Amino acid sequence: MTGIFLWTVGILAGLGFILALVLFLIAKKFKVEEDPRIDLVEKALPGANCGGCGFAGCHAFADAAVKAPNLDNNFCPVGGNDVMKKVAEILGYEVKQQTPKVAVLRCNGSCENRPRINEYDGVKSCRVKAALYAGDTLCPYGCLGCGDCVAACAFGALSLNPETGLPEVDESKCTACGACTKACPKGLIELRNKGPRSMRVYVCCSNKDKGMFTRKACKAGCIGCGKCAKVCPHGAITVENNLAYIDYTKCKLCKKCVAECPIGAIHAVNFPVLKPKTEEKKEASNE
Amino acid sequence: MSKHTFSIGGIHPQDAKFSRGCATEVLPLPPVVYVSMAQHLGAPAVPCVAPGDKVKVGTVIGEPAGFISAYVHSPVSGTVKTVAPRKDMLGNNVMHVEITVEGDEWEETIDRTPDIITEIPTDRNAVLDKIKMAGVVGLGGATFPTHVKLNPAPGSKADCILINGSECEPYLTSDNRIMIERPSEIIIGAAIMQMVLGGCRCVIAIEDNKPEAIASMKAALVDLGYKNMEIAVLKKKYPQGGEKQLIDAVLKRQVRSGALPISVGAVVQNVATALAVYEAVQKNKPLITNTMTITGDLLPVSGQHNYLFRIGMPLSFIAEQAGGVPEYAAKIVSGGPMMGKAVANLDASAVKGTASLLYLSKEATKRKEEGHCIRCAKCADSCPMGLEPFLINRLYKAGDLAGMEKASAQDCIECGCCQYSCPANIPLVDNLRMAKGQVMAEIKNRRNNGK
Amino acid sequence: MENKIVSPNPHLHSRNSTASLMRDVIIALAPAMLLCVLCYGWSAIMLLALSAGFCVLIEWAIAKWMMRQPSIFCPSAAALTGLLLALNMPPTTPWWTVLIGSIVAIGVAKMSFGGMGQNVFNPAITGRVFLLVSFPQQLTTWDIPRGFISSIDAVSGPTLLMQAKLDGASTVANVDLLKTFILNPGGSMGEISGLALLIGFVYLLCRKVVKPWIPLSIFLTVILVSSIFHLCNPALYTGPVFNLVAGGLILGACFMATDYVTSPMSDWGGVIFGVGLGFIVMMIRYFGSYPEGVSFAILIMNMTVPLIDRAFHRKKYGYGRA
Repeated sequence: MTGIFLWTVGILAGLGFILALVLFLIAKKFKVEEDPRIDLVEKALPGANCGGCGFAGCHAFADAAVKAPNLDNNFCPVGGNDVMKKVAEILGYEVKQQTPKVAVLRCNGSCENRPRINEYDGVKSCRVKAALYAGDTLCPYGCLGCGDCVAACAFGALSLNPETGLPEVDESKCTACGACTKACPKGLIELRNKGPRSMRVYVCCSNKDKGMFTRKACKAGCIGCGKCAKVCPHGAITVENNLAYIDYTKCKLCKKCVAECPIGAIHAVNFPVLKPKTEEKKEASNE
Repeated sequence: MSKHTFSIGGIHPQDAKFSRGCATEVLPLPPVVYVSMAQHLGAPAVPCVAPGDKVKVGTVIGEPAGFISAYVHSPVSGTVKTVAPRKDMLGNNVMHVEITVEGDEWEETIDRTPDIITEIPTDRNAVLDKIKMAGVVGLGGATFPTHVKLNPAPGSKADCILINGSECEPYLTSDNRIMIERPSEIIIGAAIMQMVLGGCRCVIAIEDNKPEAIASMKAALVDLGYKNMEIAVLKKKYPQGGEKQLIDAVLKRQVRSGALPISVGAVVQNVATALAVYEAVQKNKPLITNTMTITGDLLPVSGQHNYLFRIGMPLSFIAEQAGGVPEYAAKIVSGGPMMGKAVANLDASAVKGTASLLYLSKEATKRKEEGHCIRCAKCADSCPMGLEPFLINRLYKAGDLAGMEKASAQDCIECGCCQYSCPANIPLVDNLRMAKGQVMAEIKNRRNNGK
Repeated sequence: MENKIVSPNPHLHSRNSTASLMRDVIIALAPAMLLCVLCYGWSAIMLLALSAGFCVLIEWAIAKWMMRQPSIFCPSAAALTGLLLALNMPPTTPWWTVLIGSIVAIGVAKMSFGGMGQNVFNPAITGRVFLLVSFPQQLTTWDIPRGFISSIDAVSGPTLLMQAKLDGASTVANVDLLKTFILNPGGSMGEISGLALLIGFVYLLCRKVVKPWIPLSIFLTVILVSSIFHLCNPALYTGPVFNLVAGGLILGACFMATDYVTSPMSDWGGVIFGVGLGFIVMMIRYFGSYPEGVSFAILIMNMTVPLIDRAFHRKKYGYGRA
């Protein structure tokens, strides 16, 4: 009995050893030489494989970064400045600090502001709806509400609000990779500077129709009156094709335009709410 | 006589030709018309009138902008009020010329007598020019400029012109009515087109569910005695009226993928286009009128009509004349129920290609919830192009561009047979249309980069 | 007036729906099920009802709680699987066997692949084969319970196919095949009457629910193969008519092989599928250790369907005649 046992164990162990040796030799002979830095860079990256950098996944980005002479064309929007600093350290390059960006939806045509004039019954895809007709409201430029952007976001930063019918961006999750910008057939989502302490000002409308048509279509639509452009002390606002646009590189967040807009189409996001002045006076007089 | 039919696929919806007996009525004139500059395939026409100009019926108000474009004429006499963008049937902004209607004065060159002129002119180029100046476009739905179609590039020769009288879409009967009421004019128009193409064979194809039209056209053909022209009866099957299916059924030839019918020597024109060619060449009348059907699934026959309308009439005006939009109507379709477009804006104006106002009830048209594909292959069985919609749908969802091209998504004619047959209510045409667009863009890209 | 609906074309739909197609198949099975009830009485009713009930319940539960996709639950399809599973079992099958069979059929063969439309193997057959291999005693006891018609002259014993396998073809050479075709108690429930099943099949053909290519190619292959072997050695190999009528061939060919999800999408693919199926059935019946080969043949051919679908595409317009 022990004889058979020893033979079995011996043969199997021997086979295992020989096969392991064969595998080891083959692995050594057919090994693909790869720059070890590619691996290091890839480990430093977030690993989301979202394509926001313009490359097909994190490995491709690492590959390109190692092979390029500098990091001018390689920036990972998901990892941001922290990750790029690490990559620059590994490769010994310089990297420019880029201002963090965030996705912004330039449309406020909620169900309340923009009445629906027909009922769309096709496939729930913005692309299909945009290819079919001008949409279920009188504004042919506005959000179609089928959620292609929500589906495109690999980080779960977008969600469709059922009450307003518009997508909402979760700042904490948005990595400014640009997938939603490509997905929106109306081009409503823009990557704008996140702003100091996440404060930013933008015109929440993309309607290029003449003012009187815009008013009929949506309560919150920009009519292109130009008051904001006149009042802006920094020349950041241009009005073209009946639509105002704020250049985020020039905007200094003074919010004069927000007060001036008769429609309320300019939104100021994440600004601290000031206490009303009368209350402060009362407090001062009580002390 | 043996009946022709196309060899691949097809479905048999109920033909619902309730309005077949409604004789064509002439609509009264509205107070204002809005004439669209984009009534044809290709570049929209450029307006050549300004507010304040006086126009008569037949005055040119839009000039073609490019090779594939057409003239647009005023359908009424009056004063031009505005030349401005206005929303079309789908809500898109398109340039329109607004004309306040005053009287009904026609241009002097137009022959308004009811005589039928049977003599066919012989100068091919003069006739082509007349067709072009009259703004005649294909009235089978695609509105391709007729003078371009009848003038094939050098090297292509047509050996047969098919006059499409199938009207395969359910509910529509306007083509049926003009074949019953004005057969001689259609046949003369067909003969004119025969002459332009160099004297080829002419076949007028009519589906067998129109016995009165077949009889009427046959009698008129015997009367006129034209040579080299015959009438072919087709089996009722949708989409027999598609030009590829028509060529397959009558000539037993198939057009290669990406090629035009002229590549197999065929030219296909609708019967209404033939009528428009007759009016343009023999009567100097530009294309300003067409026939349309007002019908619906729950509309009583007394409320259904066939109207001779003028372009530019607001659809809401036409609907009012017909008795108003019925209460039950959940969807209004312009065109047939299989390939027509749902009207998003009823204030839009009628264009040359408007074929109907079809009122569909919620039960007939509201889509049911999308289910899961059960691999029954009913879509592939019914596809007249021999495609496999279930496969293209799956490849589109997976984003496989190469696979979609191999499955020939670019050959889809968007007829709707697949979605009609699908027991799981999968929106096949919606996805196939997107797939087709992506593949065609890719093919175009390759061709451009290759050069 | 309410807002009008706007959608892309087409704006009409045929009256087909998944549920209506499944219902048609259940109606087509009605003649056979009726005969089962008449011959086998309460056992048949219990078997059919329990099987259908278990399948529906299990599919609903898995769709709701495990897959969290309630839309994938189709009651008529699940009920159909249950009925087919019951028709594949002998009338005296105990309730717990049916329960296990349903769990395997729906849970393993259908839902674990992704649910409706995604399974590779026919669920009812998978359940049956699992039971056959796991509980051979229950699945090969051919007792005949008391039915509602007591005039049926039925004696419990081995089925015709078992006899042919164990004792040779000559022992079944003198069986009245016409009587077997019309009424054949003493086998699994679905073997009760080939005639009743064919009547149902004709109904399906008229309603355009199935196409005849797969069953036709199965029958023709079976006839061809068995004719050749029977001519060579009639004592050893049973003849064509016997093979058509005995066993579950008609049930398998008409109702199981034509299942949409697990059969090829093209007509020529279906013919190849049928030829392969018929061939394997005959090989198992003649040379295999099991007397009946339809279940295994169906499963084996189900495996080849993705390959068949890749090889056989339809003829497209413009690629044939120029």
